[in-house]
Amino acid sequence: MTILSTQNLTKKYGKLTALNQLNFQIEKGMVFGLLGPNGSGKTTTLGMLLNVLTPTSGSFQWFGEPPSADSRKKIGAILETPCFYPYMTASQNLKVVAQIKNCGTQNIDPTLKTVGLYERRNDPFKTYSLGMKQRLAIGAALLANPPVLILDEPTNGLDPHGIVEIRELVIQIAQSGKTIIFASHLLDEVQKVCTDFMVLRKGQKLFQGNVKVALSDQRTVEVGASNLDNLQTVLSEFNGIRKLEHKDGKYQLTVAPEIQTADISQFLFDKKIVLNHLVEKEGSLEKQFLKILSEQ
Amino acid sequence: MKRLFQIEWLKLKHYRPFWVLTGLYALLVTLICAGVHFFFIFLKNQGADFRGVDPTIIPFYDFPDIWQNITYIATFFKIFLAFIVIITTANELINKTLRQNIIDGMGKKGWIQSKLLLIGGLSLAATLLLFFVGLISGLLLSHPHGYPHILASTSFLFAYFLEVFTFLTFALFLILLVRRSGLVIVGLMMYTFAFEPFLGVMLMFPPNEFNFPSYTYDLAQLMPIRALNNLIHVPYQKYAFREIQDFVSLKEVFIVCCWLSFYIGMSYLILKNRDL
Repeated sequence: MTILSTQNLTKKYGKLTALNQLNFQIEKGMVFGLLGPNGSGKTTTLGMLLNVLTPTSGSFQWFGEPPSADSRKKIGAILETPCFYPYMTASQNLKVVAQIKNCGTQNIDPTLKTVGLYERRNDPFKTYSLGMKQRLAIGAALLANPPVLILDEPTNGLDPHGIVEIRELVIQIAQSGKTIIFASHLLDEVQKVCTDFMVLRKGQKLFQGNVKVALSDQRTVEVGASNLDNLQTVLSEFNGIRKLEHKDGKYQLTVAPEIQTADISQFLFDKKIVLNHLVEKEGSLEKQFLKILSEQ
Repeated sequence: MKRLFQIEWLKLKHYRPFWVLTGLYALLVTLICAGVHFFFIFLKNQGADFRGVDPTIIPFYDFPDIWQNITYIATFFKIFLAFIVIITTANELINKTLRQNIIDGMGKKGWIQSKLLLIGGLSLAATLLLFFVGLISGLLLSHPHGYPHILASTSFLFAYFLEVFTFLTFALFLILLVRRSGLVIVGLMMYTFAFEPFLGVMLMFPPNEFNFPSYTYDLAQLMPIRALNNLIHVPYQKYAFREIQDFVSLKEVFIVCCWLSFYIGMSYLILKNRDL
């Protein structure tokens, strides 16, 4: 089921084109990473999808329907900074959210416990640290147990402990079958959490695809043996090696996605070569991201 | 409807300035509207008289004249209620809670509706307060008694409700347009109490050398604040035996309703087209 689709979504601020003709789709259950350098149009995109920015042209649909207030009730979202009534406590602020979402107040206390604010629930929002404010924003997004979550830089302002907690929370939520749209410039974070990703730069979509597929390009296998010359000769007979590099007394192989590390080991063993070094290295989204940016 | 009102109530009930301003308004209106009698006694003790007439015998609180008398005074204090609308709405803009409300699932139309419910609630409360102040002072001090007298001319209470409601909607429109509470508060006061009255006098009674056409008098009646003030005409000349308009004119109600529709429509358009 398609959760979200956009058609030529465009936003201009005077001469500046913040987002140009964006087309993409998000399917149910995806954890979708929205990547891009600062100012690439991530927040502009999300702002339009949440009806706080007016598109210059183009359209989009949530759940296959034109956007409406009711479709937004099924989306839990944080966009940029956490926005709450400063003179009200966490509980009181979540009551307002619950009333808007029409979801009842029974989830407020459990949600405050989930995001670790239960002890401070009766303190005014203005007394909170940035990390606590961010936690409350995440709590507000989760409150109505929505099928779709939009998280724009959710770990902003959190300490390392908080970052890990939020990451685990996102993974846990994703496993429950919810669809998550996750904007971040922390690529490591996206790699750990997302199934799919899209790269934006200067308002243009550069890439969209599956994280695993994209990373398989980046997978390398390092091998080493006592007789390196012999190793190279034998390896050159092996089908599926895309690139062979000599590095620090070892060979680094870039292999086709269908090749398993065990296949290489078995092949070399059959050729009577015994390896003294065999390491598989996952690619990183960071490398892939930089590659995508540099290719343009 | 009920849900939108509850949202607004949740936002306001913990906001201290809301209670301070509401309390201030209620206190001022009650003291001043009910205190005219004591003011007359004070005048008498000071030895003041109006052409030989003892001020305390002025039948200020006689039914049904009382309704026009006190609603006219009370309209001067509507600015305090406008401050509530301006400050709370400006907070929603500054704290970006308006934006968050929309993200959470309020429509922009719904948001305007919730503010109009707040305005309606304030106007209704102000009208009810004035009704009770009038009723109690009248029962104590009025010479004519009985229901026909008490309930005659209560159309001024409706006029008062409409005046407050429209003025607060005007304030909502201004704060959505300008977004700076300080600027709007100062601007609204200057416009209401200085600029428009001055302009009104210039248009209605222009010095001869200006050579204004005669229709400027009627034109002046259409100005936003003038149109509001026209709902309840000054009643006090009647005590000097001059003629007054002692009813609410439908034509003047209609002009105010036009302004009201304009403010509501514009507030919605501003919100609809603006990036939040």
